[in-house]
Amino acid sequence: MRSLLLQIGAATTINLKSISQRLWLSISTVVAIALVVMVLLAFLAMAYGFARTIAGSGAPDVAIVLRGGSQAEVNSVITRDQVRLIEEGPGIAKTTDGKPLASAELYVIVDGVKRSSQTKANLPLRGVGQEGANVRRGIAVTAGRMFSPGSNEIVVGKALIREFQGFDLGQSVKFGSSQWTVVGLFEAEGSVFESEIWADLPVVQSLFNRNNVFQTVRVRLDGPSALAPLKSYVENDPRLKLDVKTEAQYFADQAAQTTDLIQKLGWPLAIAMALGALAGALNTMYSSVAARATEIATLRAIGFGAFPAFAGTLIESLVLAVIGGAVGAVATYLIFDGFSTSTLGASFTQVVFNFSLTPALIAQGIILALVVGLIGGLFPAIRAARMPIVSGLYG
Amino acid sequence: MNDFMLIRKNLFAKKLRAILMIVSILVAFAIFGVLVAFEKAFNAGEEAAEADRLVVVNKINFTQPLPIAYFNRVRAVEGVRQVTHFNWFGGYYQDPKNFLIVMAVEPRTYLDVYGSDLIVAPEAQEAFFRERTGALVGEAMAEKWGWKVGDRVPIASNIFSQKSGARSWDFTIVGIAKKRKPQVDTNFMVFQYAYFDETRSFGKDMIGWMALQTTSMSLNDQVSKTVDAMFANSLYETSTDTEKAFNKAFVAQLGNIALIVTLVVGAAFVTILMIVGNTMALSIRERTRQIAVLKTLGFSGQRVLRLVLGEAVLLALLGGLPGIGIAALVALLVRESPQQFVPKIAVTPDILFMAIVLMLALGFVTGLIPALNAMRLKIATALGRG
Repeated sequence: MRSLLLQIGAATTINLKSISQRLWLSISTVVAIALVVMVLLAFLAMAYGFARTIAGSGAPDVAIVLRGGSQAEVNSVITRDQVRLIEEGPGIAKTTDGKPLASAELYVIVDGVKRSSQTKANLPLRGVGQEGANVRRGIAVTAGRMFSPGSNEIVVGKALIREFQGFDLGQSVKFGSSQWTVVGLFEAEGSVFESEIWADLPVVQSLFNRNNVFQTVRVRLDGPSALAPLKSYVENDPRLKLDVKTEAQYFADQAAQTTDLIQKLGWPLAIAMALGALAGALNTMYSSVAARATEIATLRAIGFGAFPAFAGTLIESLVLAVIGGAVGAVATYLIFDGFSTSTLGASFTQVVFNFSLTPALIAQGIILALVVGLIGGLFPAIRAARMPIVSGLYG
Repeated sequence: MNDFMLIRKNLFAKKLRAILMIVSILVAFAIFGVLVAFEKAFNAGEEAAEADRLVVVNKINFTQPLPIAYFNRVRAVEGVRQVTHFNWFGGYYQDPKNFLIVMAVEPRTYLDVYGSDLIVAPEAQEAFFRERTGALVGEAMAEKWGWKVGDRVPIASNIFSQKSGARSWDFTIVGIAKKRKPQVDTNFMVFQYAYFDETRSFGKDMIGWMALQTTSMSLNDQVSKTVDAMFANSLYETSTDTEKAFNKAFVAQLGNIALIVTLVVGAAFVTILMIVGNTMALSIRERTRQIAVLKTLGFSGQRVLRLVLGEAVLLALLGGLPGIGIAALVALLVRESPQQFVPKIAVTPDILFMAIVLMLALGFVTGLIPALNAMRLKIATALGRG
């Protein structure tokens, strides 16, 4: 056993030392594998970053009420009477002065200009009432102040500012013929709300000609288990043809569509590129075996087994693959991690998110690299093990 | 033995190596073909746009409504040949996942403005004008759902409901619209605004946006300024732009698709440049003695250069052409997939042309240095080497 290990060690050392003789070919394999891993990881980091932003936006103890079948906030319509009935429902947490912790909101789409493309893009303007920031957790004004009730003032999410221009603190903004002033910037724990503009609900209703119209009601529940009673309360009232779900569920559904699409593009592309890189790896390793035909035959002649010859070649291939995978992962991390961008979300408005590369994603990239290295080394290694000794020595 | 045969024999002297290189080139060109087709599909709206068509939307955002009264006022503007209006319906068929592009339109003006895009049989046009509950369906949508003229289809909306409380409208398909230009997407359904406006429970007398055709594209600027000035400082200000600019801005909302395509295709090509370039160099080095023998036999330096370059170009074509073939096959499969939101991609002749140019370039780039080395090879040193 010990001698086998020594033989493998010796054969592997010879293999690795000989890489410098095929330096460019070996580098091209490393680069090919690194690029495959980069493409895969960039797509996965994009999908994960998007999912994290959307899915992280929903709380399990906040219920969102939408008109039946409307799927997204922007499509929903809820009347004042319905808002009142929902607020009377069971399982809703109360404020210190005994009022239900509920926020009826209006969600309208306005134009903003995307910094990167200088084109118009859909941004959400959310009219929220007194309880808007209380129903949600983690809303914090980081610069300026909150809008004051009854005024044409807006506060803007931190992520929105990054990608869209014209919303800096103190700036005046026109939506159609109405004039607004940016009085504050807010954070929302990296959630999708940071891609929104908030203003006082009655002002939005009046300036957008939507008096007495609401789109969603959010309520803070007594706990996640309070959803069921509220749901059956709404189902049993014929005046309320509404859908009730937890905010967590609502956002999870929204995230699924887009991340699914990104992943369905990323994996097939990476696998196709991996096939190309595999051809390169096989090529390099066959060249390695051919170049060392005499050495392998010599080792065999002095008593080395076939297995060390096999192992040496396979390990060389795996080493190249691991280097390629590591280079790809590090490059993706340096170039893409934290990269901010935006896309159209399920509510037909821009969602700003950051690419996010996690250890679990990097592991997927390294596994893909190892698979390429394994297959790319296996067949040449078999050839090395089977190489006839006599003709090799005369090679 | 002619030169082509010599090139072929040289290339396949090491069969396995040649096949592996062909596979890696094939993969790169398949990726190129599919991704460029995707990008083109996303930009199809921009390419299909007519130069004399303008879009009038609410200045706040195109999802905000405009009053129906604007339709006649825009119609009266000098330089406007025809105008039509749309309402987004938010339609789906049977299940919310089966999202459909459905719009309520004014039938006569709609077919007039979009006459250059669509072919609709005269009897279908008549039926569309006459039937209150009639719907005109684009060929792509009709094929996808297997709908025929005369079918009654229930279409639900995730925005609107009927006054009766129903969330679904029953339409009778009165005609199928075919595309007049290849870039036009016929995955849509349109129905009468009059019927929509009477039956919906809210939003009466409002429209989504307007599309107009100018009498000449040289009047585009003037018309859009006149329209926007007409409604300035009103409750519903407008923003008028060319259809092309509007479509372009919409695609840009999804993200920088062109950049993603460029990066991935770039990565794929860097990979094959490195693999093929290094392998070509290696294989010419291995053949130093053979090349010296060719020269001894009287092959000129230039002829040797041509042989090596020819080998590299042949390799690129042998990998690239089937790669584009595979891309075309993938495009065909994607087109027939039942998935929603998948654009109708196709490997068009201009993609093929671009690919062939890239194949030739790849062949020249990977073959040039080995070919120059082979051309300059001194017989005496080469034969002396081994």
